[in-house]
Amino acid sequence: MNYTLRHTTRYHYSAPVTLCHSEARVLPRKTPHQQCGASELQISPAPQVQMERRDVFGNRVLYFAMEEVHQTLDVTVITPLNTQPLAVLPTSSPSWEQIAQQLSQDNSFDVQLYRLDSPFIRRNEELAAFARSCFTPGRPIVEAALALNEMIYSSFEYDPSFTTLATPLSEVLANRRGVCQDFAHLAIGALRSVGLAARYVSGYLETQPPPGQPRLIGADASHAWLATWIPEWGWLSLDPTNGTLAGEQHPVLAWGRDYADVAPLKGVMNGGGEHRLEVEVDVMPLAV
Amino acid sequence: MTAPVSPSLLAPVANGLVEDYLNQLGKGQPGTFDAMIDGQGQLRPGWQSLLGSLEGLGPEGRWQQHEEIQRLLTENGVIFNMHDETQGRSWRLDPLPWVIDQAQWQVLEAGLTQRSRLLTALYNDIYGSRTLFEAGLLPTQALLASPHFLLPCHRSLPNDRSPINFHGVDVIQDTQGKWRVMTDRLQAPSGTGFALENRILMARALPDMYRNAPLKRLAGFLDLHHRTLIAMAYQRRDNPTLILLTPGPGSPRYFEHAYLANYLNIALVEGQDLVVRDTQVWLRTLGGLQPVDVVLRHCDDAYCDPLELRGDSQLGIPGLLQAMRAGGVALSNALGVGILETPLLTDYLPALCEHLLGEPLLLSNADATTQAATAPIFDSHLQRLEPTTLNLRCFVTRTPASAKAKSNAASEYQVMPGGLAWVGEPGSPSLSSIIVKDVWVTASSPQPHVSQLRQARGPVVATRDGTDLPSRVAESLFWLGRYGERLDTRARLLREALLRLMEYDQDEIADQLLDELLLALDITTLDEDDEHRLKAPLIGFDQKRTALLAQFDNADPQALQPLFAQLMRNARSVRDHLGDDSWRVVHQLRQRIATFNSSLGASAARRACEGLSAQLAAFFGLCNETMPHHFGWRFMDIGRFLDRVLGLLSLLKLTLNAPHSPGLALWEVVLATTDNFTAYRRRYRSELHPAAILDLLLFDETNPRSVGYMLKRIERQMDRLPGSTSPYRNAERRLLIQANAALHLADIDRLSHLADTSEAQEALEQLLDALIQPLGALSEAISQSHFSHVERPRQLVSMELDA
Repeated sequence: MNYTLRHTTRYHYSAPVTLCHSEARVLPRKTPHQQCGASELQISPAPQVQMERRDVFGNRVLYFAMEEVHQTLDVTVITPLNTQPLAVLPTSSPSWEQIAQQLSQDNSFDVQLYRLDSPFIRRNEELAAFARSCFTPGRPIVEAALALNEMIYSSFEYDPSFTTLATPLSEVLANRRGVCQDFAHLAIGALRSVGLAARYVSGYLETQPPPGQPRLIGADASHAWLATWIPEWGWLSLDPTNGTLAGEQHPVLAWGRDYADVAPLKGVMNGGGEHRLEVEVDVMPLAV
Repeated sequence: MTAPVSPSLLAPVANGLVEDYLNQLGKGQPGTFDAMIDGQGQLRPGWQSLLGSLEGLGPEGRWQQHEEIQRLLTENGVIFNMHDETQGRSWRLDPLPWVIDQAQWQVLEAGLTQRSRLLTALYNDIYGSRTLFEAGLLPTQALLASPHFLLPCHRSLPNDRSPINFHGVDVIQDTQGKWRVMTDRLQAPSGTGFALENRILMARALPDMYRNAPLKRLAGFLDLHHRTLIAMAYQRRDNPTLILLTPGPGSPRYFEHAYLANYLNIALVEGQDLVVRDTQVWLRTLGGLQPVDVVLRHCDDAYCDPLELRGDSQLGIPGLLQAMRAGGVALSNALGVGILETPLLTDYLPALCEHLLGEPLLLSNADATTQAATAPIFDSHLQRLEPTTLNLRCFVTRTPASAKAKSNAASEYQVMPGGLAWVGEPGSPSLSSIIVKDVWVTASSPQPHVSQLRQARGPVVATRDGTDLPSRVAESLFWLGRYGERLDTRARLLREALLRLMEYDQDEIADQLLDELLLALDITTLDEDDEHRLKAPLIGFDQKRTALLAQFDNADPQALQPLFAQLMRNARSVRDHLGDDSWRVVHQLRQRIATFNSSLGASAARRACEGLSAQLAAFFGLCNETMPHHFGWRFMDIGRFLDRVLGLLSLLKLTLNAPHSPGLALWEVVLATTDNFTAYRRRYRSELHPAAILDLLLFDETNPRSVGYMLKRIERQMDRLPGSTSPYRNAERRLLIQANAALHLADIDRLSHLADTSEAQEALEQLLDALIQPLGALSEAISQSHFSHVERPRQLVSMELDA
């Protein structure tokens, strides 16, 4: 699929900001299933310093600093990109215990990075028990992971009013509601708690307008899902919010251990008072 | 004191101290290493003449040296220790150094530089290409789980830079005499200041022993380190700005930070003094932002940058890591080195050393079963030598030539020939030890004595005390002046009140005066409708006495102790701008204030006030004599005279409103508290003419206690402040002009009938108000203009979990 992505993050401050250092992860990365064209980046007001680098996860990080007084901040990125379908799922896979055992002996940095605790996700017995309702003894890992994805989709309610960034996983689990970010964190926590590796993926999802109605500009949202490591095959991308695989319709922005590693915009500022945030996302499919 | 002085000083083993020590070690226990005695029961090289000297002193002589050392140690503690008295140092410095001969030292030295090279190579891999994880040479899971492994530091160090410029290593000698490593210190390697201090104190207390001893000197090492720091600068290489970043006076290491900054002559700076702009670090100063080239960091990694590292850090500088990444500032050491300190690596080091350096690891780490060798220390009476165990912290610096190179050869590191030694079990913390030792590394020939003062190198640029003074320091000096003056005013009023209290019931005027002084001190109140009516009028001697003596306690925030605490707080944060002599007086003041309590007798309390005033005068006098008259000093002076003039004006106003009109006696008190009694008497004998008093206190510009003089002085100081030529920064100047105008336009003829007419009294009251109003607003105007009121930076999005 070909898309044009438009992502705007806008902050309005109640008091002037005199200095602000920011890090944005809004430039989509290349993946084996995704090619990105050059991004058009608009930051307003214009930053005095702007630099791009790659973080330890390979994400594109934009550092910028506003050194003059400002009261709004607007970051807009427009990126053309192309996604391809995922590889076909393996017809058979080893038992999840076998994989967990294998991973526990693995010294590779990129595996262990996604197997241990992270800022928002701590492994625990509660999450392990939750996982084990799908990860039954001897079950092939792909089958078990798909079952976990389906279980979260079918037994949890999507409820933006219930959680915030600070809601702990235990509450999401107890109340069986949350948003895409919570469901991704939950699935990751469950997988890691039984010894598997899982990473958090931020990106977008093309939404279909109701039949007969035009697409509304800015109506899409950024999205989050996860991927778990299947040795010898690759990362299996799961979208528990929709109970599907995350494939061609899921353009990828960045990944990390959890949300903290891929927050679209972080910053430290002087001044500012209260602030109001607006986010606008458009995922525009292009006819080929 | 029974130990006899041995007549044969040169017969080493035969002398009493060593014989006795040898007996304690237990003869015939071969295999256990001792620092002083070898396996044959003979002294190791380098100990003999040292022991001869100490033996020669005898217990009495050693005791005197010990007392001298402790005095110096305490004094240094006083001079540099800005902690509360409860946190003062309690360790003693053993007069017997730990002598390490050349052969032993060379082994250690080679092992230490190898270790610096090894950890450098390890950093470059862990935060760079990461080949060692996959190769199974590192405990991947344990490292990733460590809070010291900082993912944002990945590839954050510019390629041509070495992460480690200074390396502290704690070692012990085991029972075989082999050097074993306890831990590495890289984030904020402390202890150099103490090592230096120990050496300086010993050399001062035992000059003969030190002057010609064949031992290696320390000064050269710190000089080298300083040059390395300079060489790290990216820009302004001829005269780069170096700073020492400290967590602040709350840190238990602050003594050392102050000591080291002073020794290296670099600014002692806190995170809030700095800001990152254009990926460079800048120091907030009176003259605006000044670029910083090299940061000697004494804060832990995770706290250094709230943007990328710990978001809740109040000590760091947002954007610092990006500035390091962009090559805008050089850090010693690089951010992320904390992970190299972890004991998780211990078991992996031998293989890593082979892999990374192609050499066997020279120094192995101690393990749980490692026992330390014995070493002698003097007992607390300095009569005998006793065996104990020692820890040693060594220091390694990169050399200036390699400061900007990635190469990692042994010649690019140098070890301090000495270190900080402390008594304790292997691995016990240095700061909790009660005995420390100087460390002597012997040289083959006597070393030239190098002055402890660093040699000048290159041109001196004398700008340190100009507009590059940090704004925070200027503000603290201003408040130091204000609180000092406030304390003085209060002490003087209390003195007068106590004097009248002692005459209680003997003289009606004195009794009235006492009441008025209680008013002036804001201890009692005039009438019950007053807003302070919570304070009931004091009746009778006992109540008044109790209320006055309560001022020697710390309940009332305006009492002496709380005022002093404010003074102290400001003084501590500008320690490196005050002379040592001034600081000694502050310490004496602190000791005096510490003895204050409400059970002092009235007479003792009065004397205490007099002493307090005298010491404050000594303090400010020394400041005037010894501080360069730079902007900081001017702010302090403005603070003093502003507080003084406000104190005088409110006292005058009170005199005017005194209930016991005409209150002539109170005028006398005004003269006494302002120290003008003598001046007045000389001019006017002992007649009290209010008009004459007013002239002396308001208009006489030759009298340093008059309003006229003080306004002139403030004006003169303000004229010399930075930005005084700018037309925009003159709110404070307008206020001063307003006050001056009120004073100069006052109708002196009208005022002269003060004793007779209410019209004159009214005129005076108007004048006083016209002075108090602008002067009261002046302080705020000055801080607006000159002190940066930096808000603490905040996170745009909080990443903290509720949990």
